[in-house]
Amino acid sequence: MAADPKTRFLVVDDFSTMRRIVRNLLKELGFTNVDEAEDGAIALQKLQGGGFEFVVTDWNMPNMDGLTLLQTIRATPNLKHLPVLMITAEAKKENIIAAAQAGASGYIVKPFTAGTLSEKLNKIFEKYGQA
Amino acid sequence: MSASNDSSDLEALFDSIASDYQPATPAAPVPPPAPGKNDGDNDELQALFDSVAAESPAAVAGGDQVQGDAWPQQEAVFNRIGHMARTLHDTLGQLGYDKLIEKTVSALPDAKDRLAYVANLTEQAACRVLNATDIAGPLVDDIAAGSKRLGDSWDRVFANQMSPEEFRKLAIETRQFFNQQLPEKTQATHAQLTEIMMAQDFQDLTGQVIKKIVVLAQELESGLMGLLIEVLPDAKRTEEVTSLMNGPVVNAQGRTDVVVNQEQVDDLLDSLGF
Repeated sequence: MAADPKTRFLVVDDFSTMRRIVRNLLKELGFTNVDEAEDGAIALQKLQGGGFEFVVTDWNMPNMDGLTLLQTIRATPNLKHLPVLMITAEAKKENIIAAAQAGASGYIVKPFTAGTLSEKLNKIFEKYGQA
Repeated sequence: MSASNDSSDLEALFDSIASDYQPATPAAPVPPPAPGKNDGDNDELQALFDSVAAESPAAVAGGDQVQGDAWPQQEAVFNRIGHMARTLHDTLGQLGYDKLIEKTVSALPDAKDRLAYVANLTEQAACRVLNATDIAGPLVDDIAAGSKRLGDSWDRVFANQMSPEEFRKLAIETRQFFNQQLPEKTQATHAQLTEIMMAQDFQDLTGQVIKKIVVLAQELESGLMGLLIEVLPDAKRTEEVTSLMNGPVVNAQGRTDVVVNQEQVDDLLDSLGF
C-alpha cells in the first residue's frame, strides 16, 4: 500500500477536539478522505461497513476502548489487514507492550506533534508497501 | 439497651451473662452499654470483641462454680471495650475526620461543578481555536497561491517571454494584489490570530478554579491518608493499582514504568523487535 492521498481513514477518539486535530493534521499531510467515530463500538460498526484503509485510534474511550478495538480488528478476517495507529495518553510501558503484542501498527503518545504523526504514517505505509 | 451496628452478638453475650449473674450482682447490666453505643465501629474493636466472645462461653459455663471470681474479669473487659470505643470516637473527632467527612460531602458536588466548568471552558477554547485556524488556513493558502502566480508571471517577464499587453495586465494585477488582496487577507488572518489569542482567556479562569480544587484535593488526601495509615495493615498499603487505562502521566518523576516522550516509545518498541 502506497501513501495514496485517497486512503480512507477512520479517526477514533471520544473527544471531538482530538478528532478534529487529527483530521486537520491528516488534511495537511494530504489525506482528505477521513471519517470519525467516537468510540470503539461505533468504529467497529463503520469498519464493518467497509471501505476503510487506515485506523487511527485513541485508547481510553467509553463503550469499547482502543485496545479492544485493535484486538477485535485483528481477530476479524475481513479487517485484520488494516493498519491501526494508536494515538493515546497512556504512557505506561506495559501499555505500549500490550498494544504492540495486540498488533498495533504504530504507537504515538499524546501530546504529539504533526511531525511525529507524519513520520509514523510514512513508516506504516512503507511497511505495508513492502508486505 | 440501645443496640447499634454489630452489637446483636454483644447483646446476646451480655444477656447470657446478665441472666446468669443477675441473682448475684443486680448491677450487672450497667457496664456493657458503652460498647453498645459505639457507632464508629472498627476492625480492632470487632476483633477484640470476637476474642472476648470466644472466651466467654467457657467463663459462663464454669460460672456456676466460680461466680464470684469471674465477674470482675468480665467487667474489666467490658470497661476496656468501652474505653476503646470512647477513645476511637474522641480521636476521630480530634483529628477532624468527622469534620473532614462532613466537608467532603459538601465540597465534592462543588468540585464536580467546578471541574465541569473547566471542561466546558477548555472545550469552547479548543473549538474557537480550531475554527480560527479553519478560517485562517485558506486565507494564507490564497496569499501563497497569488504570490506564486504573480512570481511565475514576473519570471516570464525577466525571461522576455511576455508581450507588452500581457505585461500591462500583469502590472495592474500586481498593483491590485499588493494594494487590495494582500492587505485584506493579512488583516483577516490577523483577526483570526487575535481570536486564537483571545481564546486563551480560559486559562485565567480555569487556573483559579483548578487551584481551588487542588487545595481541596490536598486536604482530602492528607485527611484520608491519615485515616488509612491508622486503619490499614502494613501489607495492604503497598498493593499497587494496576490498570491499562490511567490517562496522561501527570508526574513522571522517579517513575520507571512510564515513558515521557515519543522517542522512548520508539526505543521500547525497537528493543522488543516490533
